[in-house]
Amino acid sequence: MAGVPLKRSGAYTFLAYVTLIVISIFCLLPFVWMVLASLDSNAQLFLKWPDSITFDHYIKLFAEENGVRWFANSLFTVLSATIIVVIISGLGGYALSRSRAWWKQPFLYAILLIRVLPSTALLVPLYKILLTANNGMGSLLRPFVGDNYRSVMQVFGFIDGYLGLIVVLATGQLPLALWIMKVFFDGVPKDYEEAAILDGATLVQRIRRVLIPLALPGLAAAGLFTFMSAWGDFLLPLILLSSPELQTLPIGLFRAFLRVNEIDYGLLAAIATIYLIPAVIAFSFARRFLVQTFSGGVKG
Amino acid sequence: MVLDAFQKRRERQMLTLLLPALIPLAILTIYPALYAVYLSMTNEALTGVAAAKPRFVGAANYFRLFSDGRFWNSLFVTFVFVVGSAIIGQFVLGFISAVALRRKVYGSSVFGAAILLPNAAPEVVAGFMWISMLAGGDHATLSKIMIALGLPWVDWLNTFPLFMVTMVNTWRGIGTAMILLTAGLSAVPSEVYEAARMDGANPRQMFLRITLPLMAPTIFLYMLISTVSTISVFGMVYALTRGGPGNRTEVISVYIYNQSFTAFQLGYGAAGAVVALLVSLVLGITYVRSLKVNV
Repeated sequence: MAGVPLKRSGAYTFLAYVTLIVISIFCLLPFVWMVLASLDSNAQLFLKWPDSITFDHYIKLFAEENGVRWFANSLFTVLSATIIVVIISGLGGYALSRSRAWWKQPFLYAILLIRVLPSTALLVPLYKILLTANNGMGSLLRPFVGDNYRSVMQVFGFIDGYLGLIVVLATGQLPLALWIMKVFFDGVPKDYEEAAILDGATLVQRIRRVLIPLALPGLAAAGLFTFMSAWGDFLLPLILLSSPELQTLPIGLFRAFLRVNEIDYGLLAAIATIYLIPAVIAFSFARRFLVQTFSGGVKG
Repeated sequence: MVLDAFQKRRERQMLTLLLPALIPLAILTIYPALYAVYLSMTNEALTGVAAAKPRFVGAANYFRLFSDGRFWNSLFVTFVFVVGSAIIGQFVLGFISAVALRRKVYGSSVFGAAILLPNAAPEVVAGFMWISMLAGGDHATLSKIMIALGLPWVDWLNTFPLFMVTMVNTWRGIGTAMILLTAGLSAVPSEVYEAARMDGANPRQMFLRITLPLMAPTIFLYMLISTVSTISVFGMVYALTRGGPGNRTEVISVYIYNQSFTAFQLGYGAAGAVVALLVSLVLGITYVRSLKVNV
């Protein structure tokens, strides 16, 4: 900082520390409460040092409160959606990058605009569409499954079934993932594919042998962003799931909080902590992609 | 001629690859958006007579909507929420953090991680954690801090509900703003600062005359994106206040949800949804145009 007098520069650095410390405390304090409360034998609504450290809340969550089920449901639906999105957006992003057809530009504009539509605004029509699809699926499966109808529909149903939630979660994340993959393939030279074409490789061979290995970093970025926003989604499971067996973590947390007369803050904090951990892990990996995806994506 | 046939075949292949993405997007996003417009012109409901036989009612829902004080209230609440958190709160605190982190400070990665952590928190977790900070009168963590500092406390979520949800949403987005603005700051070439320093500019002048104007496009894009994504925030507000007390924090997404799934008036709720869709689309088109998408 030549030119700036040393004393001023020191004052600015001091100011920078004060600012950063204050903002960091503001950002961290709620997390500190949550983690401490989840370990406190006498957890309260407010921030305090634990009376004694205990893992009882976590044990209760997994032993008595179906915590394993909630976690497994969340993980299963979100991972399935992520895998679907990675495959579909990998193929679609490649097409969007390489095509020179008339539909390319309108399609790219369309996916950017779809991304800005608020999901609450689409919810009612979406629910009606899924209800129709659910009835269709029901009458299709009913003759074959007999007595197991209810449990089969919990898997293949579109309302109150895994399939519906997975499909809707995946579709919601597709636009951003397609955009990430399109931009990624724009940066991959065409030489490799052209060499493969000259060697007589078919489209499927080109995808398997050349494009998938090249696309791995892009697919990782698309997968991480999909995972993060699908994991954090609260609205869709709230509307689409009602059976206790299908409950996911955000709904478990929300419903546990509604039991007003017997709120167990330690247990709630334990659910929230467990729910938070995968999100933080995914985010720490996704962080480096944040700036690149900014230009096309809407942060979720 | 041979080349032409090859090209055609290639484009057909590309369209085939895109089809698995096109179909779900068409059925589960574009069709629902159009269907919302149709629903908003019916008296469709989840329960009662209208549930069995919905009728076409034309613009009646919209007349009702525009004379509904609760709808205007939700637009006002949404406006304050978006301007307060996305445009002012996240931007100002994110910018300050970005500028502070550009100085050589010890532990900058720790500060960075701390400021980014709220971004990773799912909406419901954010709502839940802030209940501890704000609810419970003198038991709330914020009240205890105020008492420790010898300052007055209030029942935060009842006295300043809208300010509080706006602050919580600010908290959720400082990190993203910081990262994006850091990228924007590093894109300003250092020669420009050198030249200004030679001409005797002071730090404040350099900031106002160089940094801000050069970053204006980044800032503008950032604000558009955060505005659009803030309009669709639902889970955090719903978990923290459920739109209350009264309707004082009922942002448009909570309003639509309440009309559709609490009052079961699907047609009427859809009219509110169409208004939200149009506002977001206008912002989205502005965004796409200013991005000058290089396709």
